[in-house]
Amino acid sequence: MAPPDRDRRPILCGEVRTSVLRTSEALTARTAAQLLNLRPDEHVLLSERPNLRVASPQLLTGVDCRLPSLNGSRPRAVGTVAARAVLTEGRVLQASAFARLVPGGGDHRKPWGHYLLRPGVVEPLGRHQDGEFTEGFLAAAPLPGGVLNPGAVAERLLDEVLRHRLLDQRAPFKSGRTRLRWVALPAAGDGVTSIERFTVAADGLRTVALRVAPADPSAVAALCEDLALHDWLLTTLVALVERSRLGSGDREAVLTALRPVVDHLLHLWMPGARVPDVLSGVWETLERRPGFSRQWQALVQRIRDQVALQTVSLPRPVLADS
Amino acid sequence: MTEQIFRETTAEPRTQSLPLAHVSLELGHLYMEDFEEGPDRLREHFARVKPWADAARQAAVVMSGNGRARVSTCFLVDDYFTQFSSPRELVPLLLGEAKAAGLEIDYLARESACAQADGVALAASVESRLVESPPEGSDGSRPGVREVGWLSNGQRTPSSSTAEAMGRVVPWTPPSEAGARRHSIFVDVELWNEDPRRTWSCPFLAAVWQLARLGLLRHRGSPVLEPRALRPDQTLPETWSALPPLLRLNDAAAPFAAYRTTSVLPSRFLPIEHAVRVILSQVEADAAALRQVAERAAAEGTQVPEEIADRAAYVFYPGP
Repeated sequence: MAPPDRDRRPILCGEVRTSVLRTSEALTARTAAQLLNLRPDEHVLLSERPNLRVASPQLLTGVDCRLPSLNGSRPRAVGTVAARAVLTEGRVLQASAFARLVPGGGDHRKPWGHYLLRPGVVEPLGRHQDGEFTEGFLAAAPLPGGVLNPGAVAERLLDEVLRHRLLDQRAPFKSGRTRLRWVALPAAGDGVTSIERFTVAADGLRTVALRVAPADPSAVAALCEDLALHDWLLTTLVALVERSRLGSGDREAVLTALRPVVDHLLHLWMPGARVPDVLSGVWETLERRPGFSRQWQALVQRIRDQVALQTVSLPRPVLADS
Repeated sequence: MTEQIFRETTAEPRTQSLPLAHVSLELGHLYMEDFEEGPDRLREHFARVKPWADAARQAAVVMSGNGRARVSTCFLVDDYFTQFSSPRELVPLLLGEAKAAGLEIDYLARESACAQADGVALAASVESRLVESPPEGSDGSRPGVREVGWLSNGQRTPSSSTAEAMGRVVPWTPPSEAGARRHSIFVDVELWNEDPRRTWSCPFLAAVWQLARLGLLRHRGSPVLEPRALRPDQTLPETWSALPPLLRLNDAAAPFAAYRTTSVLPSRFLPIEHAVRVILSQVEADAAALRQVAERAAAEGTQVPEEIADRAAYVFYPGP
């Protein structure tokens, strides 16, 4: 088969919301499958190696809106945004919404059935420029109304799953939600996947720009979910360690504060676990600089040292009690 | 390319494919009112259908692109809105009258099968696959403009009560059809009501029926509403619920599901089938099933319209 014409390969864009699942105990595979059974006639996808990851079937939301751009020329686009919910180790919930911008949609909106045959594809009507779109979409401000907003789709899905009756609404620790907005442009030349930007803006929005080799859009979205998951883990761990006042005098209070970290977070770190080879360059770059795993390991080591110190110095009765 | 060594089947869903005919030809829909008028009504029905059924077969050959066409025939009996007669009494009568007119019914379906068949809630599954056509300005931030239990082909007139509550007098705005050509033909279809239990509307079940005939329904990757014949030792049952949801009457028949459907119906069915079209154009069908149909058609050199709603053709004859 001839290699696809690079200039005609579509851009992918999306947004991921990540939150702790508000339940006192992590969900088992079975309960997780119930939680994410968003469509009765489709499978919930379940993977248990190397960790438990459960993904809902994909849902579509119809859009007929403008594409973002910085220069104000906002072409109209019509299609569907695909969304799914993903639960890792029964504990971290993500809602991910994404779309492929496929040019050649003509100048007029087609019958709706046309778009439903292309799930997750948004067709710009008329001309648009990839660079304009990328800059407009990744600008850190909230997207203006009437402009393609996968984040809003993800947000709604996240809220819907978090309200599920299976959840007792008791999160084991305090944590925030993170938002990661991403764009994947076709890789140039030899088609090697790379990351061009990972920015954390003041308002908490993470923006990622990738260059990707030809790959399934769902795999690219999964890579961004993986980035968002580990960014959330790191953010959450940093905040919990800070709140525990690690290094202050009261070791027992520190340990109490860190207990949920040990119980619920430390085993979740597995960057790139399911990323296919063709997309794996992204993690290699991030591990070189800033070194996500380096920071994580350093924090984990600090926590383990505290636990070890405490165990050595604990008086007997407390030990017996625990 | 490196081969993937480790796989988990629960992480990679499979969709089974179905055998396909070129055309699924529907020879009629039977309701209690028709039945109550006696065997003469059935005889008249099949006599009127026959010439159109023949024409539909010829058209199927023209469209198959290879000089031959696999055509299967089907007939739908209502046992959902009202139950009448019994399979033991009705089926032989139906087959006899069809045969007298020179027609053969290959498959007989019960209407309730479109709501629920073999333990699968088909209608509910299809409803969960509706993705409404978005009005201009939909950027993903608002949920679908869905009125619960209704589906339209455009934008409704804004509710006057909302405007009044905000203390404004808003002049009436007409509803509009999405993609209208100059003027709108706005349709709002009731999908179901609760009285007190959920009752699916006739157009909604008819849309499920079309999707089944087009081979586009699956439940977690498996085919649903698969035709079954009676066992050789089995006789036609007394109750409809004891009859297979989709009964194969002819062992030599072409497959039930097909690339296209043709339904020969009296013209009073026109509004229902318009509503079916409104529904079909907003259903996100199983992507793998769609792909299987497209690949098979391409391999056979048969053209299948891209849009699902365009795969259904009708003959509306002047009829009772």
